[in-house]
Amino acid sequence: MKLEVALFAGLKCGNPELPCHGEREFSLEVPDGTTVRELRALLAIAPAIPLLTIVNNHHEQEEWVLKENDRVGIFPPIGGG
Amino acid sequence: MDKIARIDMGAAGGPKVTVGPVGEYAGLGGRALTSLLIAKEVHPLCHALGAENKLVIAPGMLSGTTGSMTGRLSVGCKSPLTGTIKESNAGGQAAQVLARLGYAAVVLEGKPEGDDLYKIFINKDGIQVIVDNSLKLLDNYPVIEKLRGEYGDKVAYMSIGTAGERKLLAASIACTDPELRPTRHCGRGGVGAVMGAKRVKAIILDDAGMKMRPPVDPDKYRDANRKFVEGLRKHPVTGEGLPAYGTNVLTNVLNEAGGYPAYNFKGGQFPGSEKLSGEAQAQLEIDRGGTATHGCHRGCVIQCSGIYNDKDGHYLTKQPEYETVWSHGGHCGIDDLDTVAMLDFMDDNIGVDTIEMGVAIGVAMDAGIIEFGDREGAIRLMKEVQQGTPLGRVLGSGAAVTGKVFGVERVPVVKDQALPAYDPRAIQGIGVTYATTTQGADHTAGYAIATNILKVGGDVDPLKTEGQIELSRNLQIATAAIDSTGMCLFIAFAIMDQPETFQALLDMLGSFHGITMTGDDVVALGKKVLSAERDFNTRAGFTRHHDRLPRFFYNEPIAPHNQTFMMKDEELDEVFNW
Ligand code: SF4
Repeated sequence: MKLEVALFAGLKCGNPELPCHGEREFSLEVPDGTTVRELRALLAIAPAIPLLTIVNNHHEQEEWVLKENDRVGIFPPIGGG
Repeated sequence: MDKIARIDMGAAGGPKVTVGPVGEYAGLGGRALTSLLIAKEVHPLCHALGAENKLVIAPGMLSGTTGSMTGRLSVGCKSPLTGTIKESNAGGQAAQVLARLGYAAVVLEGKPEGDDLYKIFINKDGIQVIVDNSLKLLDNYPVIEKLRGEYGDKVAYMSIGTAGERKLLAASIACTDPELRPTRHCGRGGVGAVMGAKRVKAIILDDAGMKMRPPVDPDKYRDANRKFVEGLRKHPVTGEGLPAYGTNVLTNVLNEAGGYPAYNFKGGQFPGSEKLSGEAQAQLEIDRGGTATHGCHRGCVIQCSGIYNDKDGHYLTKQPEYETVWSHGGHCGIDDLDTVAMLDFMDDNIGVDTIEMGVAIGVAMDAGIIEFGDREGAIRLMKEVQQGTPLGRVLGSGAAVTGKVFGVERVPVVKDQALPAYDPRAIQGIGVTYATTTQGADHTAGYAIATNILKVGGDVDPLKTEGQIELSRNLQIATAAIDSTGMCLFIAFAIMDQPETFQALLDMLGSFHGITMTGDDVVALGKKVLSAERDFNTRAGFTRHHDRLPRFFYNEPIAPHNQTFMMKDEELDEVFNW
């Protein structure tokens, strides 16, 4: 299935085997049933960073199962105000 | 900080200075001091621009010490914008210097007859109130330039621009940063208009010959401060996110979460958000020879600010905050950082609150005065404010006045103060704070975004009503206490997640005063402040019916969540029921 992925605040795809390597906004084919955790592993984002993942405008946990055409925004911990 | 200076600007024969012991306000600082003093001494039904109102300027409990992050200043009064009690908070150098001079507060009282304009000079030898009509109708940057010629670079300045002199309801009080730029503002609530009504244009603070305030237990204080700084450096938000991108890193996350109010609260996402983002802004600042990391006062280790240069590499303004980029950006349909930065500079120079001003311009756009997205038009409107034209005075009096004058129905205000950059329909928790805070709509009063969106200090679903009342209550209590310490509120990201960093803060407070401080003490302080503020507001005529959002938030669902604000009135009434 296809996902729309956007990485923010310095995050980039770190997997050299993917065409989106080094990019921060891209479409990506992933196996059906991929979870947020699996997507993060696929994109090779350092596991030490706790991430904030917003799927279709709503924060979801690592176990969340993604669906075709989901928009996934991934952020490192950020704050402000 | 064992004395309070009272300056009666209306005394017969000219302003009269009385310096007395701190008395019943001993041990208080920042918001605790401003709010308790205003609640006790100011008639709640007074006219905010009249002689009966007081302007209280108070450094925090730990300001003027070697402690990190302790340079926040509180300014309190009855607000001309909201009619409620007001505490408006800023960084810059003023708090540290005023604290080292030994003042728990400087209180401007009364109101002079006539047109003379005054400046107040405070140093180790005392306080002078001096007529200086050469400062009349100067904006903040030229005021500071002129005063630097006279008082030099080793002082801190507070000033009002033309907006304050004209007593516009959005008028702010500027505090200079370490480079003496008037960029850090007590912005909210029209505190600059109260200073203007008292005919005080500038305050010059000179701590030459004064020392750091000594803790009762210096070793313990040093140790606690070290642990506190370690905690701030370790937490990813205060150690990495804020220094690298500043507060504007929020643009993308709020837009992604559908809580970014666009086109005067008509949508929850803005197509031009990427161009306005903190990431784009930080890159631009670096590319143009500015910096994306800068502290608003010495001793700040988070350094969330930056320096924004123009296309030619010349200083234009400090790094505009997220709320400023939103109010002048997406709220007005403008997707250009240079326009936003120019408007930020004009806000600082004229001396107006960037949130109130930007929201007012967006409301004027809704009225058809100019089109949404009109960059030059927005700058033109700001020039009207600067010139004090009738239209400029309307806009400079904030979103509520602008909405009334132009017959706009969708006016995002609570108690006549403009809502900041978070839509309460997509983020229910922040709506609770907007509705119920003693200050009029104010995100900082109980920053539910942390838990609703950023997942700091827990996880409460922003689209649901469950847990929001308790969340806002706890945050409002904690904030009232932090605002009293002189600490920057951004320490909250670290102390909410890291118990050892919260303990280090308690140890700093305790060792400084030679007492033991517990979490319960902090809660008790926060409640005491909020109770005094609520009491003032009640006596000023505010009831639970004022603790509500404008009706359109209940009636107009917003995309992408297609939700309204769902908190029930009875629930909102429970926030202060502790
Ligand atoms: S974190 Fe930002 S607002 Fe807070 S004291 Fe530092 S520079 Fe000022």
